[in-house]
Formats: sequence, structure tokens, C-alpha cells
Amino acid sequence: MESQRHLKWRAFDPLERILMVLCGVATAGFTVTVVCDIATRMLGHPWLWLQEVTMTFFVYGVFAGAAAATRRNDHLYLAVLAESMSGRKRLAFETFNRLVVLAVAACMVWFGFLNFLSGFHSLRMPSMTPLASFYAAIPLGGLLVALFTIEQLVNGWQNGFADREGRA
Amino acid sequence: MTNGALIFLMAFLFLFLGYLGVPVAFALIAGVLVAAAFTPVGLPSIMGQLFNGIDVEALLAVPFFLMVGELMTAANVTGRMIVLAQAMIGHLRGGLAQVVTLFSMFFAGISGSSAADVAVLSRTLGPEMKREGYRAGFIAALIASASTMANLIPPSIMAIVYGATGNVSIGGLFLAGVVPGVMVGLGLMVYSHFFGPAGVQHRRATFPEFARAAHGAALPMVIPVIIMGGILSGFFTPTEAGVVAVLYILAVVIPLLNRGYFRDLPRDLAHTGLLYSIPLITIAASSAFGWMLAYLRGPAAVSAWMQGVAGNDPHLIMLLLVALFIIVGDFIDAIPAIIIFMPIITDLVHNTDIKAVHMGVVIIVTLAFGLITPPYGLALLMAAKFTGVRFGRAMLDSFPIYVVFLATILFCIYFPDVVLWLPKHFLPQSVGCFPNPGGTGYICP
Repeated sequence: MESQRHLKWRAFDPLERILMVLCGVATAGFTVTVVCDIATRMLGHPWLWLQEVTMTFFVYGVFAGAAAATRRNDHLYLAVLAESMSGRKRLAFETFNRLVVLAVAACMVWFGFLNFLSGFHSLRMPSMTPLASFYAAIPLGGLLVALFTIEQLVNGWQNGFADREGRA
Repeated sequence: MTNGALIFLMAFLFLFLGYLGVPVAFALIAGVLVAAAFTPVGLPSIMGQLFNGIDVEALLAVPFFLMVGELMTAANVTGRMIVLAQAMIGHLRGGLAQVVTLFSMFFAGISGSSAADVAVLSRTLGPEMKREGYRAGFIAALIASASTMANLIPPSIMAIVYGATGNVSIGGLFLAGVVPGVMVGLGLMVYSHFFGPAGVQHRRATFPEFARAAHGAALPMVIPVIIMGGILSGFFTPTEAGVVAVLYILAVVIPLLNRGYFRDLPRDLAHTGLLYSIPLITIAASSAFGWMLAYLRGPAAVSAWMQGVAGNDPHLIMLLLVALFIIVGDFIDAIPAIIIFMPIITDLVHNTDIKAVHMGVVIIVTLAFGLITPPYGLALLMAAKFTGVRFGRAMLDSFPIYVVFLATILFCIYFPDVVLWLPKHFLPQSVGCFPNPGGTGYICP
């Protein structure tokens, strides 16, 4: 949490902590449900709904983790050109990159929300739960990514994007 | 706009934004959204594709095999496997280089991630190799090359993603990966012996020393048996084999070898959650990208072109695909590459006599090679960073090792019977064999 401190507001630290806890809960959750799935199947009384619970933990874990990875700058990158730059050039690159992420996150929120609404018309077997319960992860994830990107943009403009050691 | 122009726009935006420094997942989604805006496709349905990309039960195996590697490393159990490798071949010329390769083969049988292998080796054997006078560039090149075996020797995360997205038997891909995995391992050992630095000559381990090392590493070395035994016996799916391996580590390995580790378990569960979300959000984005590519009929055009050039010659088609994936693998990560290009591969498999598992293993070996080729050789980038050497230096030292990979790829293309021998005998249905209606055994066309 202390890495790239200059790009973070302390007020958001509890949110990152909560997301990391959610990642752990999701991991432990789908591990336990897969174990129960194997056990109930071996006992001859499979609980079919367990697979839906497993996928719920899994999908929400992915989007919670992706949001946390945005704040921790842990995503997969093809190249990090901006890190080798300095001054106004770097400011321009870093700003542009984050504006792209922000635009994508905004699309995830709005179009993800429309997709969420359409998800009430499709049901997941065998529990007949609306698919919307899964689709909700996309706008929620998008919202968190947008929040963390705005945090980085504002702090980057105030403190500069390069940290004290000259990295990232 | 024509379909071709839209595909170009989508690919250009992805690469342009990706190389500017936008995270891969967001660069992919940006490309898809812009292209979709010029088509009748609704943008909310693109969001649905993000979900569909990860709503695949087989992909659950990814976090489990990442967790296996994470737990083994965090609980410091991997050190025992290094000691065993040292006792077995540490006395040969270039002893530590040989140990790096053998350990990677052991570790590949436990974790499906190259990144974990690079991290372990760079922190443990890397400094020791420097002390013995190995060049830093050679250390980075060797560690990166050896780590690619994690994608070949089962369980392999690339094989899981390939099987889950291409509807190909994951068990079959696991077994087919053994021959190229061992070939790369032996190739690296031969290269280190004849062409690598000599290092310090170590004495051969005595039998009691070897027995002690084998005893110490026995518990973790059971994990590959659990994983492959469960899958081959039909008892577990790859996902379930992953969770059983996690349980075995939590219930047997750690309590017996490092009981104090349990305090850190919640932290590592959270870390695993973060670790698996990064490739999976990329898989979700790649899946939307691949879907859009298919909507624009890109795969049909590419596969028609390939068949126009190569006809129905399976070798030529695979060589063309290898060339395509070597170029693609130089610029983008293996997992998005598999998902984006899967429609092309599926089209070619359907229109030719190439077995899906054979095609799969050739593609996976090619993409594993992409982990050490510039400019986006992820394993080499990581190894260079961890060992503190410039990427360019590590790249120069890795050039001779390319021969090992190219020879393995050509072998996989031209000797399918050898590569598919294991799946044919242990999972015959995975390579298109079917039960003999008139008796026992299988008929393999």
C-alpha cells in the first residue's frame, strides 16, 4: 500500500484493504465450494447450486482484484514508455493513459449497467437466479477502477507521476 | 467502414494504447468499444462478452495452480526441491545452471506459472550463481528459458486457457506438453554443459546425502502425481485436481514442513486473489476482442488465406501459424494471444486433418518461446529485472538458446506421433480415438 504513495489518498486506503479482503474471501470461498462440490458428488448427493456459488465468488473476485490492481499499478502492461520520461512529456503521457482507462471504466459503468438491467430477463440454472446478479460485477468493478484512476490523476497532477526514487 | 478497416482499427488501437502504457485489459476493451461503435453491435452486449469470457468452469483451475505455486513459495518448501536438484546433478559442469533447469522441471510439475518460477530462481539460485562467476546475462537468460517449461509440463496455465477457450481436452494438452517440456529441459542442460560457463566444480553428492535430499523433497514431489493421477484416472477435472493439490499442501505439506506459515495464510489468499484477477481480467477483455474479431469475420479471412497458401498440408499450415504466433508473441502476452486468435485456430482445425491437441501443443510451445523473445518477452523481462542486468544483455545471452526452442517446435510439428504418444495411451479420446464397438481398446483414426 505504501508503494506509489504520492499517487494515493490515505482516505482510500481502507477501500483497498476491503478489496484485498474480498479477494481473499473470494479465493477461500470458491476453494471451499469446489471442495464441497467434489465431496457431495462423491457421497452421491451432489449439490448442483454449488457451481453457481463458485462462479459468483470467482467472477466477483476477478473484478474486485482488477480494481485493487488498478490502485496498486499491478496490471499487465505491454510497455511502460512513460516511466523512462520526465517533466511535461511524462505528465502528458501519464495523463493520456489514465484518461483512456477512465473512459473505459466509464463505459464499463454505463454500458455494464445497461447490460445488468438486461440480465434480469435471463436466468441461471438450476437456481433460476437472474444473470443480472453476475453482471453487476462489471459496473461495480468499473466504478472502482474509475475512482482509483481519478485519484491517480489528481495526485499525479499535484505531486508529479514519478516517485522519489524516480521509478513509476 | 469495411470489416477489414475495422479489424485494423481495433488492432491498431490495442497495440498503440498498449505500447503507450495503458494496461493490456483496458487497451483491449478500448479497441473493441471503438470498433463496435461503427457496427450495429450494442455496447452493452460487449460488456456481456466480458462476463462470458470468464464464466467458464475450467478457468477456475488458473487460481488453483497459481495458489499451489504461491503456497509452495511462501511456505519456503521450494528450497527442498532445489537441494534435491543439487544432490542429483550439482556436480556436473555448470552445476548451478543444471540445477536451475532441473528445478524448473520439478517446479513446472507443481505450478503452471513461469512468473513464480522466475521469482523463486532469481531470489535463490541467482545470487549464488553470480558468486560462482556466471555472467548476469546468462543467469537471466537461463532462468527465463527454464521457466517457460511451466507452460509445457503439466499443469500449465496456458494449456488450461487454450483448452477452456478452444473446447480442447485440457488433460490431453497436459499430457502432450510433457514431450516438448522435457525436450526444452534436456536442450537447456546440453547447452549449459557444452556452451555455458563452467561455474565452480562441486563434488558429487554421496548416497546418504542424496537420500536425505530426496526424503526432504518427497512431500512436495507427490503433488504432480496427485494432479496427473487424478486427471488421468478420470477422478478429477483439472480444476478439481488443482483444489486437491491446494488441500494437500494445506493439510499435509505445510503442517509437516513449515507449521508456522499458517499465520500468513490469509495474506497469501488475498494475494492469490489479486494474482489471478490480473490474467483473468485480461482473459475477459481478450474474449470480447476475439468475439468482435469473429463478428467481423477476421478469422475466416485469415484461415482462408492460410489454406490458400498451404492447401491442406498440415505441416505448412502449422508452420504458418507458428510464424504468426512468433510475431504475435513478440508483441502481446500469451493468454490474450490464445483467446484472440482461437477462432482462427478452430477454423483451421475444422477444415484440415490436424488434431486439436496437436495444434494446441504446437501453439503453446511457440507462445512459451515468445516469453523470452524481444520486445515483449515477459519471462526474460522479469528475470533481467530480478537479477539486475539490462534487458539487452540478457537478450543477447538468450539468442543461442532460441535454437533449443526452434528445434522443439519443429519436432512437435513433424513428429506428432511422439508428441501425442502419452495422450493417445492415457486419454485416447482426447486425440480423437473412440472405443472399439467390437471389443476392447480404442480405434485411433
